[in-house]
Amino acid sequence: MKGPQTYTTEQQLINGLKQREQAAFSYLYDHYSSALNGVIYNIIPDPNIATDILQEVFIKIWRLIDSYDPDKGRLFTWMFSIARSTAIDLARSKEWKNSKRNNSLTDDYAQLPDKSRPSSDLPELRKIVYTLKEEYKTIIELCYFEGYTQKEIATMEQIPLGTVKTRLRAALLQLKKKIKL
Amino acid sequence: MDIKAYIESGVIESYLLGMADAEEVAELQRLSLEYPEVVAAIKEREQWLREFSEATGRPASGGTKEQLLKSLHKEFAVTSGSVHVINRRFKFVAAAAVLALFVSAAGNVYLYRKYTKATGDFVALQKEQMQLLADNQSYHARLTTFDHDLKIMSQAGVIKVPLAGVKGKEGSLATVYWDMQSREVYLIANNLPAVPPGKQYQLWALVDGKPVDAGMISDCAFSLCYLKRVVNAAAFAITLEKAGGSAAPTLDQMFVIGNVKS
Repeated sequence: MKGPQTYTTEQQLINGLKQREQAAFSYLYDHYSSALNGVIYNIIPDPNIATDILQEVFIKIWRLIDSYDPDKGRLFTWMFSIARSTAIDLARSKEWKNSKRNNSLTDDYAQLPDKSRPSSDLPELRKIVYTLKEEYKTIIELCYFEGYTQKEIATMEQIPLGTVKTRLRAALLQLKKKIKL
Repeated sequence: MDIKAYIESGVIESYLLGMADAEEVAELQRLSLEYPEVVAAIKEREQWLREFSEATGRPASGGTKEQLLKSLHKEFAVTSGSVHVINRRFKFVAAAAVLALFVSAAGNVYLYRKYTKATGDFVALQKEQMQLLADNQSYHARLTTFDHDLKIMSQAGVIKVPLAGVKGKEGSLATVYWDMQSREVYLIANNLPAVPPGKQYQLWALVDGKPVDAGMISDCAFSLCYLKRVVNAAAFAITLEKAGGSAAPTLDQMFVIGNVKS
């Protein structure tokens, strides 16, 4: 038997996935599951639910690979977008909101961003977001973690759409600056 | 448009993180067609997104991969491992098929040889049978002739006139059968030398002391030949003449002669 299949280029991996190779799927999981799980966990900070979402995400990637267009971006960017949108679908569901409300009695992190101090077991990204100034923290919470559109946020926060745009971009630049790679 | 300020505005980040609205996405797509530096900036930030996500990654709980492989197992193409197994099985089947082919081919050669031999035997038998049939027919024809000849010879009123070889032709012999009632003359050439080219034997009857043509002799070695009607013959003789016959016999070419005993 051969050793585990390696894919030296992203295109080889994509071809392998399109040809329904189990080895390609296995390679994809081994190399991307941790990063995607982190993306999901940042939005849904419940390890068990995050794992369920991760499974759903990998099944989506596997089944939707033919619709992935390399001209529109890197494979990871595409998978990131699937992971985030799948997690947000759950974050916006009644079940998750209810569980969050119940948990909020004990867990401060699950509440909306006006609750101040982050606890040590917070997801990495959230920890950094908590260090931003209040208006940046709010907009990233609403837009990135809860998936509201900029228009919805403008209505919710009763500020002009242009202000939302400017504030979101500034918040992201601040956040990026704080992230040390 | 200050493209550098645009690139550094944070709009690319909001786009990659999925937060840009339709208007912003359209603008970015339009500008990336126009400015290669926008494309480069998107690529650079995609790399950043990946690196950041990896850095803040969280290993999934154990067993997740196995569960996924189990859920998707029917969707995977046949793996190289099973291909190998199939190949081995295929090789065995192929070997068996080749062996079967050889056995079959050998059988075919054997059967073909038997068939050819049988066909040859059959053809030989058929030939033999044809030969026997031909022989039979020829014997039958000869028997019929003999039967016919015998009837003539043994008929009442038919007399036998043996013609013996003259001096110098002692071995020659012929026999005339003459029907006294119908006057018909038959001849059998018991032993006459082979005819030289352009020549033919001719039968003569001696009537009133003169030789009279009694007919040309062709193939009369094995059966009676009917020649001509002859009246009052005292003797018969055969001479060798030119083909078609002569008006008068060439006497020095006489082979046989015999008197009619009345």
